[in-house]
Amino acid sequence: MKTLINLKINGREYEVAVEPTKTLVDLLRYDLGLTGTKKGCGTGECGSCTVIFNGKPVNSCLVLAIQARGAEILTIEGLKPAQGLHPIQQAFVDKGAVQCGFCTPGMILSASSLLKKNPNPSEPEIRKALSGNLCRCTGYQKIVEAVQSVGKDDERR
Amino acid sequence: MLLPKFEYHEPKTLTEAGEILRAVGPDASILAGGTDLLVNMKRGKTAPKHVVCLSRIEELKKTAKEQEALTIGACLTVAGLREVEQVGADFKGVYEAAGSLGSPLIRNLATAGGNIVTARPAADLPPPLIAYGADIKLMKENGERILPLEEFFKGPGETAIEPGEILCSIVLKEPPLYSGGGYEKLGIRRSLEISVVNVAAFLALDGPSGAINEARIVLGAVAPRPIRSPSAEGALIGQEPDERLFQEAGQKAAEDARPIDDFRASAEYRREMVKTLTKRALKRAYEEAKVREWRRWK
Amino acid sequence: MTSYSVVNSRAPRLDAPDKTTGSAVYIDDITLPGMLFGAVLHSPLAHARILNIDTSRAKKLPGVKCVVTSDDAGLVKYGVSPARYDEVLFCYDKVRYVGDEVAAVAAIDLETATEALSLIKVDYEELPAVLTLEDAVAEGAPLVHEEYARNIGAEVHHEFGDVEAALAECDLVLTDTFRNKRQDGAFIEPQGCIAEYDPKGNLTLRSSTQSPHYVQRTIAMVLGVPIGKVRVIKPYVGGGFGPKVAANSMEMAACLMSMKTGKPVKMGFTREEVFLYGRARHQFVHTLTTGVKKDGTLMALKNECYLEGGAYSSFGIATIYYAGSLLGGPYRLKNMKYDGYRVCTNKPACGAQRGHGGVIARAAWEQQLDRIAEEIGMDPVELRLKNMMEAGDVSCNELKMNSLGMRECIEAVRDGSGWKEKKGRLPKGKGIGMACGFFVSGAGFPIYRSETYHATVSIRVSEDGGTVHVYTASAEIGQGSDTAFAMIAAETIGIPLDSVSISSGDTEFGVDLGAYSSRQTLMTGHATKEAAMDVRRQILGVMARELKVDISELDLKDGLVVFKHGRVDYSHVRARYIKEHRGWQGLARGHDPLTFQEAARIAYLARGTIIGKGKYKPGDLGGTHKGAAVGTSPAYGCSAQVVEVNVDMETGKITVEKMTDAHDCGFAINRTSVEGQMQGSLSMGLGEALFEEVKFDEKGRILNSNLAEYKIATSLDMPNVTPIIVESHEPYGPFGAKEVGEGAIMPTIPAILNAVYDATGVRFQELPLTPERVFMALRSKERKTQQSTGEH
Repeated sequence: MKTLINLKINGREYEVAVEPTKTLVDLLRYDLGLTGTKKGCGTGECGSCTVIFNGKPVNSCLVLAIQARGAEILTIEGLKPAQGLHPIQQAFVDKGAVQCGFCTPGMILSASSLLKKNPNPSEPEIRKALSGNLCRCTGYQKIVEAVQSVGKDDERR
Repeated sequence: MLLPKFEYHEPKTLTEAGEILRAVGPDASILAGGTDLLVNMKRGKTAPKHVVCLSRIEELKKTAKEQEALTIGACLTVAGLREVEQVGADFKGVYEAAGSLGSPLIRNLATAGGNIVTARPAADLPPPLIAYGADIKLMKENGERILPLEEFFKGPGETAIEPGEILCSIVLKEPPLYSGGGYEKLGIRRSLEISVVNVAAFLALDGPSGAINEARIVLGAVAPRPIRSPSAEGALIGQEPDERLFQEAGQKAAEDARPIDDFRASAEYRREMVKTLTKRALKRAYEEAKVREWRRWK
Repeated sequence: MTSYSVVNSRAPRLDAPDKTTGSAVYIDDITLPGMLFGAVLHSPLAHARILNIDTSRAKKLPGVKCVVTSDDAGLVKYGVSPARYDEVLFCYDKVRYVGDEVAAVAAIDLETATEALSLIKVDYEELPAVLTLEDAVAEGAPLVHEEYARNIGAEVHHEFGDVEAALAECDLVLTDTFRNKRQDGAFIEPQGCIAEYDPKGNLTLRSSTQSPHYVQRTIAMVLGVPIGKVRVIKPYVGGGFGPKVAANSMEMAACLMSMKTGKPVKMGFTREEVFLYGRARHQFVHTLTTGVKKDGTLMALKNECYLEGGAYSSFGIATIYYAGSLLGGPYRLKNMKYDGYRVCTNKPACGAQRGHGGVIARAAWEQQLDRIAEEIGMDPVELRLKNMMEAGDVSCNELKMNSLGMRECIEAVRDGSGWKEKKGRLPKGKGIGMACGFFVSGAGFPIYRSETYHATVSIRVSEDGGTVHVYTASAEIGQGSDTAFAMIAAETIGIPLDSVSISSGDTEFGVDLGAYSSRQTLMTGHATKEAAMDVRRQILGVMARELKVDISELDLKDGLVVFKHGRVDYSHVRARYIKEHRGWQGLARGHDPLTFQEAARIAYLARGTIIGKGKYKPGDLGGTHKGAAVGTSPAYGCSAQVVEVNVDMETGKITVEKMTDAHDCGFAINRTSVEGQMQGSLSMGLGEALFEEVKFDEKGRILNSNLAEYKIATSLDMPNVTPIIVESHEPYGPFGAKEVGEGAIMPTIPAILNAVYDATGVRFQELPLTPERVFMALRSKERKTQQSTGEH
């Protein structure tokens, strides 16, 4: 049986009816059309479903939608300003940190969480923060360079 | 991957949780972080009819420092555990173990209590917690009880928890002067790993350059549950700490280990690694013990 | 020195912004009205006869719209190469591995489809299974396929020169046997598809695929749909690496069920199903015998290889050739013998994965070359330099090196890594190692016998606005091919990159064999360039007539018409343009340079819509021996790598600390993309060297069908790579470009092996180098040393 829940996603209030078995990633992708959050494994092992949940990056495949009642969630769609790209997004474009792009939303959100706490992270700190996001295409280096470049250049993280 | 159907319950208080558990009966699982339960449900390993979520119960997420004990709520996340000042300052072994668990994303969901109550032989938190002599508090409808964490584990997935009981908190007593802890984990990669072997050590010295008063060595992933190593501890107590002693302790610890062959590693390799990891964990503990001053816990 | 406006730069990729905002569409992001959800029933047994399939209960479940088995699908055999069509869509007589497809269901939602699967009752008679190479080829072993005696699905025997005679003349002959383990592609996006069959008989399949073309052909053949009515569209793909090249049974099942229900059917693999499907790197066991003269001259190589291929041939028919042919370069070797045996087992089929059959052969041989170097007292770098081929050479197996920057690559990594200062001087536990690599720039022939072009491209010029649209059926799977072709088009036509848009991955746009064998930059790049030249010629041809000059006087550059000599009066052309655009702002006026926009408009007015066409087929590649088709290529990429490792001698854990990689890609169309492909290849090589292995239990079930226990490198495992681009200017490549996507992985595993030897004194002949494997070998070596010196 479904339960009606309220939650805030990307600054917007939502009221949705969810079954207990609905995961947060499925709610976002299939019910709310927010397909930027990806599904790579379903078991918290790849990080492509990363969202920011009450200020912390988590695997949304391991959160029940019903647990998100009252939560504030940021998905990749919520990062982009009206014009142009968020500095982290722009850095990923500029530094060649995007190949197939499937890990990219999760990587960017994990990076944004790091930069909020630590505006100028070292390379080991960046690698540690991204160590729950798997990438098979880039070898991580240009991703790390992109995050480093935001740390140096920009105030608007 | 789909979850099997279940009824969801979200108590607001511990009391309510106890009532629900009594009402729904044994075909119920507790949901805290979900990093273990939801994975097992998706993989078809378990299909409880009822899922009781504890993550909204505020008192389960609190930490408190009273007299000489640090109480950690069982639903504190592993990441949250690392943010508790005392954990980083006084329980380094726990701090290090928490930092090696899963990934940064997992650590934001997984709970300290979950890593205990699931009783996985390779779990990261139980060995250092046991090394620091942690107790746990369990609550049921008709009361609560405290027992040493060391006595809680029975085997893989099996603990001393009783039907209707909830693990509420972990209690760590302030460590003595000139004591220290260390945790060593061996995995195959550097993230998202389940330990092939892990070892936690605790040493209390008789003065900054004194002999060893107390020693606790806890081995993980080499027995059905985390185990102390009485042989290693016996070799350490009363001795002057040095590299050679730690090496010997490692050899002894390997004798107490009861590893098995599985798809991650062989028993033989695990036994060898107990030697090295014990030595290294002791070194860490010793480095801290040499300089640990008395700090008044405010 | 030619200067380029667009190519050879670090232009940001065209698809990157959408991928960073989450608006790039992948298959699972797509929903169609009325869509059904499908699921596949897999065999739980490794080898069994099918006695009966009862779908009646499944069909009755409310919400189920379709249940299909081989009765519905038919028994048309398919595979990758027509020489080995040994699969059918659904098993009918027996199942050959845990995961083999038996039936499929389409229902109103995934829950219902999954429940329906559990209601399909299959009666199996279990048969003994063969799970290892050794078991499969043993006398009297049960047969996976009746037609493959001794479970050998394919066998190759080549000899070039006279190996035995050459070995007899050698001063040193070494033999080693080397093995890896079966791998998984581990792309982050699992396979998925949506099939849509409309009332007019048009079948459209959207799929996360590397080759819409091959998938289109297989669907048409297997399901009996006229190929002119089959369209395959590829959305963005989250990585392919090989397993996504051939049509999979899920794609065909979705098509079949859409045809039966008249509704779109969406299907996707779970991560577990990605492992069950496999089609990734084989297990190879190579026994290599190499002979040299004492001055280091390579004389002969004997290579015997057993491939553990799983239950079906898949791409393995090509793998078995690559496992031999790719050792024909990059060294001068007159005598080479290769005997390959691809063995079937009751496990998921293996296929092609980045570097194909060349990766493990290269790993084994480059380590053996280091052994040889050590025995004859020669620096490993010098041994390579001494023997390497140069541009113009032809290998003993008829591979023509039209360009080969092997020397530049070796010298670049030697000098860029501090090799001379470090080799032999690092403390115990630290090591430095090097290796070389070599790969084709596109398979010389399609996987089906045909005279087809390998790539066709059209470029449509907008009737106004001076923009062009490139249409190609090629597959952007993350490697950056869309951007590369847009850059080639822009450079060739003479317009800025942002005047070019590209649509790709759709069989409506032409023929393209797809993203595999590292072919697209060279082959589709050629076709793009030709189409762009056609556009140029048409537009400049009109301008030449309008301006009454010879076409050779005209050029296009950076979006402007350039007059090579003197002044030309184009005012009447401009006037026509301005007249048509009364009221518009910002028009070029007066003596402003004549723009491509104006020229293209005038050309349209003269000729109608301007469309440029290009096509590519390799020229004569030589190679007269059987199987020459696999290995011969229009061009070959090569690379060299130096790796530094730190081995924890007490645990066996290896840390790769530094990687210096030089890759000859002929000419970098996009420098950032080339570096990205190098770094990504190296991370896969590192994973395969240290962690990756698909593990099975005694019943043929995969033990680690997830990304926690099948371990690819994380951000904490992969070091920084110093990438060095070498450009040897391939004469048969567009702008001189050739491959990088697959060749770059080649030196990685052996460079790590050689570095580990340098650090520990142990040569490893088995992958992966897990801490346990390393530790046990170190301990064994220590014990042997103690025994021999009488120490305790």
